[in-house]
Amino acid sequence: MNKKLLILPAIIFSSILLVFFYLLIIDRDPSGIPSALINKKIPKFETKSLLTEETFISSDLFNNEITLVNFFATWCKPCRDEHDNIKKLSNEDGLKIIGINYKDNNEKAIKWLKELGNPYTSVGIDKNGSIAIDWGVYGIPETFVVDSSGIIKYRHVGPITNKIYNKINMIVIAIK
Amino acid sequence: MINIIGNFSLWLALCFSAFQFLNSLKKNNNSLIYLNKIAVNGLLICTLISFFSLMYGHIVSDFSLANVFQNSHTTKPLLYKISGVWGNHEGSMLLWILILNIFNYFIFKLYNEKNLRFVSKILETQALIIFGFILFTAITSNPFELMQELNENGLGFNPILQDPALAIHPPLLYVGYVGFSAAFSISLAALTLEDNSIPWHTYMKPFVLAAWTFLTIGITFGSIWAYYELGWGGWWFWDPVENASFMPWLLGTALIHSLITVERKGILQSWVLLLSILAFLLSVIGTFLVRSGILTSVHTFALDPSRGIYILIFTAILASYSLFLFGLKLKKNPTNNYLSFFSKEGSILFNNILMVTVCFSVFLGTIYPLLIEAFTNNKISVGEPYYNATVVPIIIPAIIVMGVGPILSWGGVNKSKLFKKVFPAILSTLIMTFLTFMFYQSYSFVGLIGISLAFWIISNNIIMWFKKKEKLSIGMIISHLGVGFLILGITGSSVWQQEKIIKMKLKNEVKIKNYNIVFKEIDEIKGSNYLALRGNFYVYNEKRKLITILQPENRYYPITNNFTTEAAIDTNLIRDLYIVIGNGNINEGWTVRLYHNPLVMWIWFGAIVIFIGGIISTNNNLKKMKSLRK
Repeated sequence: MNKKLLILPAIIFSSILLVFFYLLIIDRDPSGIPSALINKKIPKFETKSLLTEETFISSDLFNNEITLVNFFATWCKPCRDEHDNIKKLSNEDGLKIIGINYKDNNEKAIKWLKELGNPYTSVGIDKNGSIAIDWGVYGIPETFVVDSSGIIKYRHVGPITNKIYNKINMIVIAIK
Repeated sequence: MINIIGNFSLWLALCFSAFQFLNSLKKNNNSLIYLNKIAVNGLLICTLISFFSLMYGHIVSDFSLANVFQNSHTTKPLLYKISGVWGNHEGSMLLWILILNIFNYFIFKLYNEKNLRFVSKILETQALIIFGFILFTAITSNPFELMQELNENGLGFNPILQDPALAIHPPLLYVGYVGFSAAFSISLAALTLEDNSIPWHTYMKPFVLAAWTFLTIGITFGSIWAYYELGWGGWWFWDPVENASFMPWLLGTALIHSLITVERKGILQSWVLLLSILAFLLSVIGTFLVRSGILTSVHTFALDPSRGIYILIFTAILASYSLFLFGLKLKKNPTNNYLSFFSKEGSILFNNILMVTVCFSVFLGTIYPLLIEAFTNNKISVGEPYYNATVVPIIIPAIIVMGVGPILSWGGVNKSKLFKKVFPAILSTLIMTFLTFMFYQSYSFVGLIGISLAFWIISNNIIMWFKKKEKLSIGMIISHLGVGFLILGITGSSVWQQEKIIKMKLKNEVKIKNYNIVFKEIDEIKGSNYLALRGNFYVYNEKRKLITILQPENRYYPITNNFTTEAAIDTNLIRDLYIVIGNGNINEGWTVRLYHNPLVMWIWFGAIVIFIGGIISTNNNLKKMKSLRK
């Protein structure tokens, strides 16, 4: 056996570590899951509204405004964590936020929004999770950015951390 | 107060490890042992104080500590307050450091007149590893950080982690990983010193055996937890973190066996040195994958990129130091001995190659999504089909060889004699396999292979046990027997598993395999820190005789605000009946998942048998190592 081959494990190992290093320093989202809906029209749906008596019709809600669609539930702890950032986003101009209350108890959800504050323009009820299925929701919390013509531009799985908050802001500015 | 004591002793331990490192660098010096005694004892005492300070904080629910606040709650049962210490990233690092130092202490005890430089060299590398881990913990993951404001109560501990099997899973696993660190250091000492008078393999073997044995039982407890607590009906999911423990286990398996050939025949030395380096490096890489957040898994710890960078740099230092040392220092040219395939060393080498190949496939599967993302920016996932397609076919020949390997003689064997020797085992394998298939009445090619392999191992080892003509190690026979039981369980539960997911209302009946299951009633119950809905399922056999009542629960924990499912399982040696109750209500019914899992019990039983065999072997080899002193 060639003695030079003995250095091979060191070289292979180093190259793998280099790849890891590259992945650590680039800006990537390990929990990012690609969505088939990016650059597609939003899925249509109709449901009851949580806070008003009106019916919640998707085609009425998404027009001429950049909209954030946020799937949440009171039983989901990360949803509580991201709530402050959603409130911050709701204060921004030219951005509407729609909540979809996923597999939740209505009274609890109303109480929750009273307690923590309501950043949503309107909230639709997704009792059996069928809207979430149409949107390809992977796990809540999950947020979609929809442009003014109703095209989905961005999707984020997981809570909106400060980093994601900044990213969403940049995306909103870019598609304005 | 407690945070000051804990933090101070942690930093003091860091100083002691630096002291041990610098001290061990010295060459023959009379004060060397004395000074290292101070370092080793100081390290052990400091880490014990630090660890128990944190444990005390958890037990008395001292919510001024951020670690306690984030992971505990006053209403938590005491057992889980204790296990909560290592149920989080920071505390588990502290446990890791403590175990490292306990091993460090035992290594120090190896000192005698003849091996002064050798043991110092081991302690030098150990000190480096300890230093790296303490620095990492103190800087990026300090468990003694204080809260800004005082809180009456903590955030609570994820209820899914409140399980006895999971309480003991991390300590066992870490004994495994840390044991490999000792083998790593011994390997480096052997490489640098090149002193042929030191039988380094005799020193390495008990550490590797202990590491492997504890890794085996640690992985098993993780699986038991997944099976009973997650409610998915399975016990292994090829999750990156499971793989991270499985890879060192595979290399450890190869390492134990090749150490035997070094011991007996003096061959495969360089191979063993490389394996022991890689086994530990893979353990550290596993830590990196889990704790850096570079990939997502069920074991996600809080994500923090600075931690990832730190561990990666640390891994790079260890890897480049050890592997370049291996590449450059290895003077002895690997011997080109011709090995007969039908010899003990031939079978061991063959299985070594297969184990390393399996390990490589698992490694590739684990990091492939990362590689693809780095080079093409696409996201893919690698799942069970990949592992079934790559791991299973490589393992099969390994198991066939494993059955006969121990009865082959060193140097080679007469083939016709060999056939006579294994004939009883072949016969009993055929009979037992035939009986099993008569019983289960279910035929599949994979099932046939798995079951006959299991009986092949079991028969061979039972025969060896009773013959005892050859001087075979009892520990080996017991462990191999355990592997046979394990394969039986793995095959049964994966090939013949039946699953039913249905919506059931009260009084509904469902049939799975030969059992009729009636959903009789549902109660609301109140546990110590949860509320639950408990279903009562009456299980009848074909003759309408009541066998058991299964009571799966759907629990709600108000403190952490999450739901968990408690599977109800009826176990016997032949099968498990497994019921999980999910979402639902009285009008629409509940989602119920039922599994008929044959032979699962044999997986746990097999793992315990392997563990017992491993302990016996470790003990025997410890005696051998101790006799070196005389």
